[in-house]
Amino acid sequence: MDTFHNIGTSTDWIVMVIYFMVIMLFGSYFGRYTRNTADFFFGGRRFAWWLIAMSIVATGVGSHSFVKYSAKGFEHGFSSSMTYMNDWFFVPFFLFGWLPIIVYTKVRSIPEYFEKRFSPSARFLATILLMLYMIGYIGIGFLTLGKAILPMMPEALTVLGTSVDITLMRAIIVIAIITGIYITFGGQTAVIFTDLLQGFILLFAGLLLFVLGIDYIGDFGIFWKLLPVEWKLPLAHYNQPSSFNFVGIFWQDGVAGSIGFLFMNQGLIMRFMATRSVNEGRKAAAVNILFMLPISAIVVGNAGWIGKAIAVADPSVVSPNTSPDQIFVVVASIVAMPGVFGFIMAALTAALMSTVDTLINATAAIFINDVYRPTKKFLQRKQKEKPVDDKKELFAARIASIVITATGVLAVLAFKNFPTVYEAHGFFHSTLTPPLVVAIFLGVFWKKFTPAAVMATFIGGVALMMMGARYPGILIAPFDHGIVMNPDHPYSYIRALYNMLMCFGVGVLITFTTQIQKNVVAGLKRVRNHKQIGYGIVGLNVILFVMVALNTGSFSFLMSAAIFIVLTVPVVVTYFGHYDEVYHTVGLTSWTMETARERFKGSKVNDREGDIVELHWRIADGEGDIVRLSENDMQRMKANPGDLLYLCDKRKWLGGLKSIHAVFGEPHANDGTIYITDEQQKSGMFMAGRILTAEKEM
Amino acid sequence: MLTSQHTWIPYLYLYGVGGLFFLLGMIIIRKSGSIDLRRKSHRMWNRVLIFGFFWFMVIHAILIYAALNW
Repeated sequence: MDTFHNIGTSTDWIVMVIYFMVIMLFGSYFGRYTRNTADFFFGGRRFAWWLIAMSIVATGVGSHSFVKYSAKGFEHGFSSSMTYMNDWFFVPFFLFGWLPIIVYTKVRSIPEYFEKRFSPSARFLATILLMLYMIGYIGIGFLTLGKAILPMMPEALTVLGTSVDITLMRAIIVIAIITGIYITFGGQTAVIFTDLLQGFILLFAGLLLFVLGIDYIGDFGIFWKLLPVEWKLPLAHYNQPSSFNFVGIFWQDGVAGSIGFLFMNQGLIMRFMATRSVNEGRKAAAVNILFMLPISAIVVGNAGWIGKAIAVADPSVVSPNTSPDQIFVVVASIVAMPGVFGFIMAALTAALMSTVDTLINATAAIFINDVYRPTKKFLQRKQKEKPVDDKKELFAARIASIVITATGVLAVLAFKNFPTVYEAHGFFHSTLTPPLVVAIFLGVFWKKFTPAAVMATFIGGVALMMMGARYPGILIAPFDHGIVMNPDHPYSYIRALYNMLMCFGVGVLITFTTQIQKNVVAGLKRVRNHKQIGYGIVGLNVILFVMVALNTGSFSFLMSAAIFIVLTVPVVVTYFGHYDEVYHTVGLTSWTMETARERFKGSKVNDREGDIVELHWRIADGEGDIVRLSENDMQRMKANPGDLLYLCDKRKWLGGLKSIHAVFGEPHANDGTIYITDEQQKSGMFMAGRILTAEKEM
Repeated sequence: MLTSQHTWIPYLYLYGVGGLFFLLGMIIIRKSGSIDLRRKSHRMWNRVLIFGFFWFMVIHAILIYAALNW
């Protein structure tokens, strides 16, 4: 396979450096809007849908990157676009299930939802699984960045008279340092605005590459005719080859990946939580998936398609043996002139950095919310309740960002031996998403799903998944749809189906046998030394889980151990835990959305549709979130005291940057004027003389 | 030689199995009351959701047809 170094000219490097400086200055400017941890992580829940939809482009395109889709485009053609156009099946669940739940329950992280819905131990396990998922994702991001930049680098550099080889890992470490510095000092608002800019640039750069490529080949007709028919099909062959087939990718990406990306990618969820309302979040998601993703599929894959067409026309220009992960850079360097190539590469690498930035920021949010705060609370449990020191938390968040960046670099080691980034990502999704995906899904949409079932899904499901990974020929083969097993990377994609079925099966089985578990526990409690027996079962489960993880024993013994774990974990959870079904489900599942909305508001929801009014603002004394409008204005808005409103600078192009959420107070008589407090003015960054728009939320 | 395993079987699988997931989602959000069709904005969202399914279905069908015939 042909690999490349030293692609590009000094002009390209100058363009790249200037691009990065501009992007970092742009981000730093908006970093000043970060006042506390809420701003650092969530951007203050104030942005318009279009701003978030565009900023998600950079995150989504970056993560499903130019490198891996160009590689598959080169190897297999238009079917590289499959993963961008199979997300809609789960959108109803997301828009009317998970999205409103996370907003209305005011959770700051996915594990926090698990504590509300189930128990603190469910939150603990969810935190571990989610951190693994996020750090793995960061590792994939760094790997892609390294592979993108490596072809442009020389094979070695001379530093202080010593020749230093430029390896993939060394390149990644330098990239990680730059990325870490940026996110540590920027925060979510900076990332959102940087991504907004990069979203536009990225689409432009990708489409520019396509136009330049077509121009290089001649015209679109020639391009179309050069491609073999199977390269023009939008879906891959049903089950061949094992490295890229439709059915495996459907289960790995269309199901596990889509649900994982929408439901458990904390980075993406934080973007939706940064929108000013649930409805704006829905608009951002729908526009992104319906229109942005199909465009992005062309943007990220076209270099591979162009590369294939050139390889067919003249193999001396693009060799058919070119390393697939380098095809993007190779094609870009051929079709674009110096400087333009630098711009395209800058857009690519900056977009990848956006993805990694978002993930680091999101993982830091999980750390603060689900590790730092609970640990601090535990350590201070005997002291008097202290107010939260936001400066300390912000400092901890920044330190966490640095540590997570370093851990993400280490995670690259787990993926760097896969033939392509695409396969590494597919294996990663298939392996890490199923337990959490199934737990979130059943938790949100099935009231009967219990803490015993969720714990069994996490522990027993993972045990069965590990068995599948050890014995794919026995356990995954029955689900392989005719895909031939590659012994080096067995069932990289279709293992997602096995893993999800195991987790789903465990969750459903344990939920349906809840009464049996209660009977067993009642019987156990009648035994004199029931506590010792309870602890004994816990100890046995730990030993068996470790044995399954380390593969110490025969297949039949380990399989029996995994089944034992599945059956006894729920008994232990039922024995030690307390679960009030009403308390843990009302307002926390899609079946009780109205209650969730009422809890969010704090009173009965007012859904009468009123006008949006324009107002002058004045400072007045007041309490908390209360603002005061005239009686006539409130009537136009069909609002009552106690209702929630969104107050925003009238200039729509700001996308909600200068805005606040507030509560209607008692009316006054001065039409066209709103009285806000000094603190609200500072929080919303409202400028003197600027008109505000007020909209009743609920 | 292209077989149906390369052309229409993946398409039927995608919108058959995927369609079942989609249908299940639509049923659950309706039954749970999460989407309330008495509300004007929710009626709009209901239409958007159904449109989205057919939007991708039509795009994929056109692309397969184009690859085979154009």
